[in-house]
Amino acid sequence: MDKALNGLTVDTLSVAYGARLAVDAISLAVPKGKITVLAGPNGCGKSTLLRAIRRLHVAKSGCVLLGDTDIGKMREKEIAREIGLLAQSPSAPEDMRVEELVRLGRYPHQAMLQPWSKDDAAAVEDAMFGTGVGHLRDRRIGSLSGGQLQRVWIAMVLAQQTDIICLDEPVNHLDMAHQIDCLDLVSRLNREHGRTVVLVLHDLNLAARYADLLVFMKDGGIVSAGSPRELMTEELIASVFGIQCRVIEDPVHDRPLCIPMRNSSPRFEVQG
Amino acid sequence: MTGGAAKLSRRAPVLGNLARDRARAVTIVLLLLVVTILMLLGSAAFGSTWVPLEKVVAVLSGGGERMERLIILQLRLPRVLLAVLAGAAIAVSGFLLQKVTRNELASPSVLGVVDGAALGVVIFLALLSNDSNALIVSIGWQPLAAALGACAAVALVFALSGRQASSAVRLLLFGIAVAAAAKSVIMVLLLTGPIYRTTQAARWIAGAVNETNWGEVQLTALLLVPALVLALIAATRLPPSDLDDVSARSVGLNLPVFRLVIFALAAALTAISVAFAGGVSFIGLLAPHMARLLVGRSAIAGILASALCGAVILMGADLVVRVLFAPTEVPAGTITAVIGAPYFLYLLLRKDRLNG
Repeated sequence: MDKALNGLTVDTLSVAYGARLAVDAISLAVPKGKITVLAGPNGCGKSTLLRAIRRLHVAKSGCVLLGDTDIGKMREKEIAREIGLLAQSPSAPEDMRVEELVRLGRYPHQAMLQPWSKDDAAAVEDAMFGTGVGHLRDRRIGSLSGGQLQRVWIAMVLAQQTDIICLDEPVNHLDMAHQIDCLDLVSRLNREHGRTVVLVLHDLNLAARYADLLVFMKDGGIVSAGSPRELMTEELIASVFGIQCRVIEDPVHDRPLCIPMRNSSPRFEVQG
Repeated sequence: MTGGAAKLSRRAPVLGNLARDRARAVTIVLLLLVVTILMLLGSAAFGSTWVPLEKVVAVLSGGGERMERLIILQLRLPRVLLAVLAGAAIAVSGFLLQKVTRNELASPSVLGVVDGAALGVVIFLALLSNDSNALIVSIGWQPLAAALGACAAVALVFALSGRQASSAVRLLLFGIAVAAAAKSVIMVLLLTGPIYRTTQAARWIAGAVNETNWGEVQLTALLLVPALVLALIAATRLPPSDLDDVSARSVGLNLPVFRLVIFALAAALTAISVAFAGGVSFIGLLAPHMARLLVGRSAIAGILASALCGAVILMGADLVVRVLFAPTEVPAGTITAVIGAPYFLYLLLRKDRLNG
């Protein structure tokens, strides 16, 4: 696939909600075939940046380039064949069957009035197999557990067969075991299929554990981007997240681990 | 979560539930088609005089005696066919709206189309009647007045929504507001106007197919058939609209444009339908629900089943008023509400029980 050669570049991108700039002149080269994690405090613009990468927000200025094509000039289905996105809290009708939901991922590959093809069927089977939801294919969405449901949604995004996959806080509503399970799945998809992954994660330690490139954001801008080992310093975390912490070595994984201690900014202090 | 079992089921079963769902939907649509045809023949046979079914078939295939030909071809068939067309159109409109707003309570009346059409009719009756309360033009212009009213209401709703027209909630709110405004103007005109006008307007608002002729039926068919074909084509794009906005857009559905097209199509279907048949909008709420319960989630089967259910309901209601209330012409729309509302409640209660 020659489109796999296309890298993703964010070029001085600004996105506005009314008068407020949620993303303020951000530039970022997303490394191909790696996992990039966007992290930062609430309201820092990380989800907005992720959605803007998929053109779910219109750029106020600047652009997102896929190879050397401005995604602002691409057609809806064209983008959907290149970049998949799992929404923060996706929803589907409760009586929809699992296979039916995964099949929706084939939408951008189908022309109007074109019948379901062998490629479509194969992509759906691969996606369900890859996420381990094949045995759930006939179940209805409403009958699934949170962990199963998240896997089904990931399967839908996989069925799109995009080289780039964006996931907006995919582990938000999951318990600890399913958080690890979900992110292990994402990292396997990255390693085994060479897909470029862009994640928004709240949990800094999960971010450090899975990221190849970690991006710290604050107030609509990028504070710093680099490897988890470069970024996970007590000073930087204090300035970005407003919390004092200790950074130690994760005794199991070869990654830094952050132990939060005291809020360094006064905004949450109990009035007394 | 990790699946040994998952890996075993890599190959799709020969006939999965999804395929079974589809086979079932096709069967039910075909059954509904048979019911519709039987209802059509029955509607032509029943009335103030009974014409045996074999004679109905004979007349329809070009034979039959002169009297039977007159009764069926001139008196009964136009209203039966108008019932089929108007019932089907309003039902498809309701189906599209419920799908695209992801809300089962959406119906053609919430876009303001129906009340706009009613206002058109009432203004027509008010402006063009003379001192002795007789219309100074033919009543045949009434559908045009209804259509103009419907178009004006839709245009107003879209103009008010402006750039927010692709947001379902905004559009529905403006639709409800325009409908309420139209209703209050209607009420003022009816209360201050002569009694004849009130009766005539009330007939229209209730919805009836009795005062029709072949010309109107042909015109309705000419307008509705392309709109229904467009609806079926749009249905191939409907599936992602079941998802939340972000997910629907991320699989490549151009949601703002798609919503506008569907709303416009639904408004057109409703306007054409109510212009000739009046305020039969309850069918637009009821028929899509029946269709969904019968054929499940498929969009194309859902549209076909909605259309057939809508046709059967309006034909049935018209048949009931012809047989039960003859010779008084009670508007069929009153019956759709009398029978439809309890049935609708039953469906909702049953569904609650299934869910709970």
